[in-house]
Amino acid sequence: MKINLKKNMPNENNISNNTKFLIITFYAFSLVIFGFLVDTPKEIFYGIYNILMQPDTLITDYIGLGGMGAAFVNSGLLTLIFIYMLYKLKITFNGTTVASLLLIMGFAFFGKNLFNVWFIVIGVYLYAKVQKDKFSKYIYIALFGTALAPMVTEIMFSTVIPIFIRVPLGVLVGIATGFILPPLSSYLLRVHQGFDLYNIGFTAGIIGTGFVSIFKSYGFLPSPRMIWTTGNNVILSVFFFLLFVSMIIVGFVFNNRTFKNVKNIMKYPGRLITDFVILEGFAPTLINMGINGIIATLYILLVNGELNGPTIGGIFTVVGFGAFGKHPRNILPIFLGVYLGSLTKTWYINDPAILLAALFGTALAPIAGEFGWQYGVIAGFIHSSVVLNVGVLHGGLNLYNNGFAAGIVAAILIPIIEAFRKDEI
Amino acid sequence: MKHIKKRIAKIVDELVTYFFSMGATDISINVKEEKGFFKIILATNYLKKDEEKINKLIKYLKCAKQEEMEEYYWELTGDSDVDEELILVGMMTDEAELDIEEDKIEVKLIRYK
Repeated sequence: MKINLKKNMPNENNISNNTKFLIITFYAFSLVIFGFLVDTPKEIFYGIYNILMQPDTLITDYIGLGGMGAAFVNSGLLTLIFIYMLYKLKITFNGTTVASLLLIMGFAFFGKNLFNVWFIVIGVYLYAKVQKDKFSKYIYIALFGTALAPMVTEIMFSTVIPIFIRVPLGVLVGIATGFILPPLSSYLLRVHQGFDLYNIGFTAGIIGTGFVSIFKSYGFLPSPRMIWTTGNNVILSVFFFLLFVSMIIVGFVFNNRTFKNVKNIMKYPGRLITDFVILEGFAPTLINMGINGIIATLYILLVNGELNGPTIGGIFTVVGFGAFGKHPRNILPIFLGVYLGSLTKTWYINDPAILLAALFGTALAPIAGEFGWQYGVIAGFIHSSVVLNVGVLHGGLNLYNNGFAAGIVAAILIPIIEAFRKDEI
Repeated sequence: MKHIKKRIAKIVDELVTYFFSMGATDISINVKEEKGFFKIILATNYLKKDEEKINKLIKYLKCAKQEEMEEYYWELTGDSDVDEELILVGMMTDEAELDIEEDKIEVKLIRYK
């Protein structure tokens, strides 16, 4: 039987590229609307000014820096700009599109803003031009790579370097970082074999470690921050539950009013690259994203954690990767591993860094998906310790600190697990 | 674009690894560089009980070419023997043809330069 395979995007339920862009635009726009509902335009304007004009090292909660309205508007507008960019570049909308946009959306609550991300993007653009390639081929690296945006503002708004040095130096470091990202991010995938979903986090951690080591040699030390807001759980949980339930409803409607294929999503291990939009369709993916969002938000509430900029970032990351590798079956073991750690280790389950370790630790979900939930628990358990120890290497300048830690955990665990597997070829 | 021929080698690596997982014991590979494209032909036997894996092969190789995905993730192709990365092969090729018989398969892939 001869089959001439017609190249297409399988399982699309006739949802066009434009419709998918429209749906994601709606969610980005809803953040802007919410921002203007909770604060006045004047408060938002001054809040955004505050967000743009300060360093963004970990952990800088934009709700604390500029107010809730400004943080939401910053996130919504930045995401809308990137959606427009992807649309104009005629990118085929898939799971990576969703993951990269929701990562922008989430981290625009604690580290990425309307000013600091562009230097990285320009650096990637210049790399494409030097290679005589289309920029669109590197667009995902540019979007994910904005993890290192705090490098720009840390130098630019430094109080110890003269202004005529720090401004051009900040610009230069940002562009240089973006310029070296494409070859590094691709190469470093092999270290963890795709078991760390935040590969750019791992790459950014390595780059950040290199840069910060050089900074330190010249007496310049990045200053970690700790801006962590509390007391907004009620209003934020109402908004986010509405948002995630709406994803389930929209997905359900576009899925011909069924939950068809959602079960299939749960069967994938989730290792890079597992694109649920391509494999099972956009509508069931949207349902999976909504379920992930509800689970992640409930986790924060159940452990008496705080919903704020950084945890919102973590929740959006779990939701975004709900289109690109994460589903309830492979993320829950990671949560359990972090929770078990809290019973035996020196920290509490609702400490800021541990809340983030649980949410972002789901970068290791493919380990649970591929080898079984027990290994996922072990990965979560180890990750919650490693992540507390690696931030110092890049001085908090890599926003995906958990991606860096997860890469290290995967690089340690995978060869060991594989060595003792019985069903190898 | 860098590592043009290495990418071809990675595609072959991925296919060979996948067919090994289907019980292949006799694999022949032919890689040809033409003026405007590369042609990869892989002929192999397989175990009939792994027919589900053939459906997977069809589904993944049907995936449209996506350069932005390839540029970031191509290094993963053929890198793991516990999980497949066939979807990347789909994303890295322009044409795909399968000839499936009772206990034999022939895969023909075209990748434009």
